[in-house]
Amino acid sequence: MEVSYDKESRKIVQAIERFARKHSLWVLAYGTGCGAIEVPPTMTSRYDAERFGIRGAATPRQADVLLITGYLSVKTLKRVIRTYEQMQDPKYVIGFGSCTINGGMYWDSYNTIKLLDMYIPVDVYINGCMPRPEAVISGFIELQKVIAEGKAEGARKYKENLDWYRANQQKIIHNWNMPDYNW
Amino acid sequence: MEVKLQVENEILDKIKHTFHSAEVSIPRKQRVEVKLRNDLIHPFLAYLKDTLGFKHLSHISTVDWLEEKEIELVYIVMNYDNLVEVIAKIRLDREKPEIPTLREFWPQVETYEREIHEMYGVNFLGHGNLTDFILEDWEGIPPMRRDFDTVKYAKETYFNRPGREDAQDVRTTITKKSGEEIPELAKVYSVRHLE
Repeated sequence: MEVSYDKESRKIVQAIERFARKHSLWVLAYGTGCGAIEVPPTMTSRYDAERFGIRGAATPRQADVLLITGYLSVKTLKRVIRTYEQMQDPKYVIGFGSCTINGGMYWDSYNTIKLLDMYIPVDVYINGCMPRPEAVISGFIELQKVIAEGKAEGARKYKENLDWYRANQQKIIHNWNMPDYNW
Repeated sequence: MEVKLQVENEILDKIKHTFHSAEVSIPRKQRVEVKLRNDLIHPFLAYLKDTLGFKHLSHISTVDWLEEKEIELVYIVMNYDNLVEVIAKIRLDREKPEIPTLREFWPQVETYEREIHEMYGVNFLGHGNLTDFILEDWEGIPPMRRDFDTVKYAKETYFNRPGREDAQDVRTTITKKSGEEIPELAKVYSVRHLE
């Protein structure tokens, strides 16, 4: 069945969609690097991130947000790409800490990546080493703003520029034995 | 005050008596250092474990002696009764480092040997599980060898954020902008000697 909206009602539907999306951000319970230790205090009673609609999800297919909490080695990057590709739309990525931004203290490491956004699209970065729970929540509110404005289009960017991302990924992951996910 | 090294000296005598070619010394209390021939490491550790009661293997460490073209393996074993550690050192040829595995003595050796194999390229004969461990699909020379240029490899392999290629000290840049001076105490940590 084909439903055609006119411009005005499409706007209203989109606004409702975005409102719903920004208030139910389910974060995949997955942590890399040392930043994962900042997530439990963010989620539990003291900082209570659930009042913003942020809560944990058990599997990639149920999650909306992928938190990259710290440095990524080549081995972990492979798992992260696989996880990201399993997630369903709408999906967002938050880069967490200076390691995801420019390598941080691992700038000369032989096994960690320096620029996360060359491998998967990142919607919001949170700086700090490590960011405190307040900073994490502030980053999530920033993501909510981006979603409300309709600018969180990482997933679309990834689909459109898949060849470019794949080339970057395969530059460091030599043995590419992962399945192709059909979104 | 004179330190009594009675237990250590007893162990030293026993080792010297059994393995004539070993160089034994006591660097400090509760520690005996032994330099061995390569082929003696298995009988030596068997002797320590079964006869002298050194039941605990603490660690296997590796040193890359680039100038001497040798790789040194350091086995650290401990005795729970008198708390003495014996450090046994052997030297392998750097071009083709090979040594039989120690898995029959201590099963936990498997992990150490896999890591040493991956980071230094030492081949443990008869290990049976020397597959990828921490690094996946690593090509080229093992990363912990001293002739491996880490910075060069990182710059060539991974993307760098524009403006951060040289990895300058952030404090130097800030002080240049603000005109402040770095305190004497902190200067040691601010100056990076990078080529």
